[in-house]
Amino acid sequence: MAEQKMNFFDKMQALDRRYIYLVVALAIILPLVIPFNSRTYVTEPSENIYKKIDSFTGRKDRAVLMCFSHDASTMAELFPMEVAILRHCFQRNIQVFTICFIPAAKPLMDYALQTAKEDYTVQSGVDYVNFGYKPWGIFLPIVLGMGDDVAKAVETDDEGRIVSNLEIMKEIKNYNEMNLVIDFAASAAVYIWIEYARARFGANVAAGVTAVMAADNFPYLQTGQLIGMLAGLKGAAEYEKLVDVFATHKEMVNGVETVVPREFSKEVIKDSWIKLSDIKNPVYKTARIGMNAQTVAHIMIIVFIAVGNIGYFVNRKKNKN
Amino acid sequence: MSFEAISNFVAAFFTLSIFSFLYKDNPFYKFAEAMFVGVTMGYAIPLVYYNTFIPFVYRPIFIEHNFIILIPALMGSLYIFRFSKNLSWLSRYPIVFGMAIIGMGVPLSMHAYVLVQMRIAMMPIDNINTFIIFVGTITILLYFFFSKAHKGVYGKITNIGIWYMMVGFGASFGYTVMARISLLIGRIQFLMGDWLHLMK
Amino acid sequence: MKRQIPLLIVIILGFIFAIHTFVPHKASADFYDWYQTWIKALSPFMVLLGIMSLFMVNTAKIQRKIPGWQYSVITLLSLIVTGAVGFIWGTQEGTPFMWLFKNVQMPMGATMFSLLAFYIASAAYKAFRARSIEATVLLVAAIIVMLGQVPIGMAISKWIPETSSWILNVPNLAAKRGIGLGVGLGMTATSLKILLGIERTYLGGGD
Repeated sequence: MAEQKMNFFDKMQALDRRYIYLVVALAIILPLVIPFNSRTYVTEPSENIYKKIDSFTGRKDRAVLMCFSHDASTMAELFPMEVAILRHCFQRNIQVFTICFIPAAKPLMDYALQTAKEDYTVQSGVDYVNFGYKPWGIFLPIVLGMGDDVAKAVETDDEGRIVSNLEIMKEIKNYNEMNLVIDFAASAAVYIWIEYARARFGANVAAGVTAVMAADNFPYLQTGQLIGMLAGLKGAAEYEKLVDVFATHKEMVNGVETVVPREFSKEVIKDSWIKLSDIKNPVYKTARIGMNAQTVAHIMIIVFIAVGNIGYFVNRKKNKN
Repeated sequence: MSFEAISNFVAAFFTLSIFSFLYKDNPFYKFAEAMFVGVTMGYAIPLVYYNTFIPFVYRPIFIEHNFIILIPALMGSLYIFRFSKNLSWLSRYPIVFGMAIIGMGVPLSMHAYVLVQMRIAMMPIDNINTFIIFVGTITILLYFFFSKAHKGVYGKITNIGIWYMMVGFGASFGYTVMARISLLIGRIQFLMGDWLHLMK
Repeated sequence: MKRQIPLLIVIILGFIFAIHTFVPHKASADFYDWYQTWIKALSPFMVLLGIMSLFMVNTAKIQRKIPGWQYSVITLLSLIVTGAVGFIWGTQEGTPFMWLFKNVQMPMGATMFSLLAFYIASAAYKAFRARSIEATVLLVAAIIVMLGQVPIGMAISKWIPETSSWILNVPNLAAKRGIGLGVGLGMTATSLKILLGIERTYLGGGD
């Protein structure tokens, strides 16, 4: 009997990896096809980005710069946060710039702008500007140049217009006005902003990073070198929720559902509960839907670790005997 | 079949071609991989032309007649000699011109990664967490000091550093699992939602 | 001389940049303006290196008929077609160029990395073993962080996200700071070595 048990564990240890792949696929497909509501709690680094951006509401002498430093490989994590931040800016009349330094990020940047502005009447050059793609080799010179003059550093936007002539630039000179830089990265690009823009000009820097990099950034959050961070799909889900709860908050006004933005409040976000099925546009809830599958997948990984270890310890005991 | 459906079908075909590698290496995967490399690089050529050559080289020289820009433009073209046996030394000029900005990196990296971090590590210890952080930082720094053998009391202290690092690596691993799963979720969302319309 | 002159350029310009960091004088600002204009004019040519390298590797494979050379033909054809489409119809949203990106490059790029989810799950099952106390600490920290990130962690107990947050903000922070200080010193030292002409590998081989 004991020998049979050992055989079972031996077999478990030598299980063909393709069965494992099948379980992984099912663990992700099922929660996506059979949706359920789950509660995303919001962390402080995400709140800090929201509060900082929201403080620019309606101001012509403030702007946010979004730097897209990733390609399609990490789009699943970073794209929803980019769309959520752009929505926040468009909804609250916050001036926003976009730029990228790798070719493969350029269409993602266009796609994010295209997606976010669908529900808003915003005008390029007035409400936002896409600075477009600039080669990686001039990343550093542009980061440093922006400390003196943003328009001079980037020269032209994506449409070939001279940036200094654009209406949006009237009250924007350097990092004093372009008061927040958010780098969306799957690489160390965010550290260039910390090392050069923050250290030399005191620019406020925030990061939207893939979860792989998130744990490394906590020392920079503590020092304030990063004012906030969105970490992976969860960070994106948190920001989606913040935008829904505050920036696009809906109330019944004269019997009509109207968007009535409200100020950030820790108490409100703590108790807020938004039913995903109430959100009509699927793009606005991509990350939160993904978090359902993420939950199941995490449990699956923990079970894998547990089962693998049980097999390992049983075998070890057998070998000792 | 609408244009969008055809587009989604093409995207799904390439997605599944890459996924087919999970079963084993096969011609579909190799085809997709080869195409991926070509499209990615091909994509960069017109982008660089429109977004950098036109505004930074063509416009200053041919429209604004700022002929001094011919010098950096010619220097940039020396990159092509990188693969020449006899003339590869010419490509060093554009490389070093870009490299020179590293001069700023010396004081700024010292400031950003060392001084600011050290300053906060030296703040008064006012609660248990700041004490734990302080102990961790010191013991890890001691662990990486290899001029003294990690034995006896010193070895025990550096062992504490190892424990901290294990917690740190564990946190990174937890986050890495999350990241990798998220990427797969993105693709399954595309296949199940945009392509097959199975998501509500 | 083929190495010395480039090295001298790095050293002289590098020191000027180091001074520029601390000196807000007009001459310093003018120097930076000049550098900015020149480096931008130089930048489009950087991409030539990548394209040339890809061409050379793949044409060599085709010429020598190395097994799988047919895939090199596909790579080169895709490169030429994508480039041509970009020049003919432009690179803006709504062009065939963007269609190619959205439906060919983007899905493949995203899927390539998503394969890692399968591999990490397989590794979790087959390789992550609590062989020692240190490895157990790593696994426990990982499991708490994993649970703390997803809604079910909160549903099980509010202590899970709180413990996860504590791990990230306290011991993880200390670990990353300790390691980061070493990396920071290493980066500064490397920059200094380049600046002083000690580190020269970026110049490539030859005279």
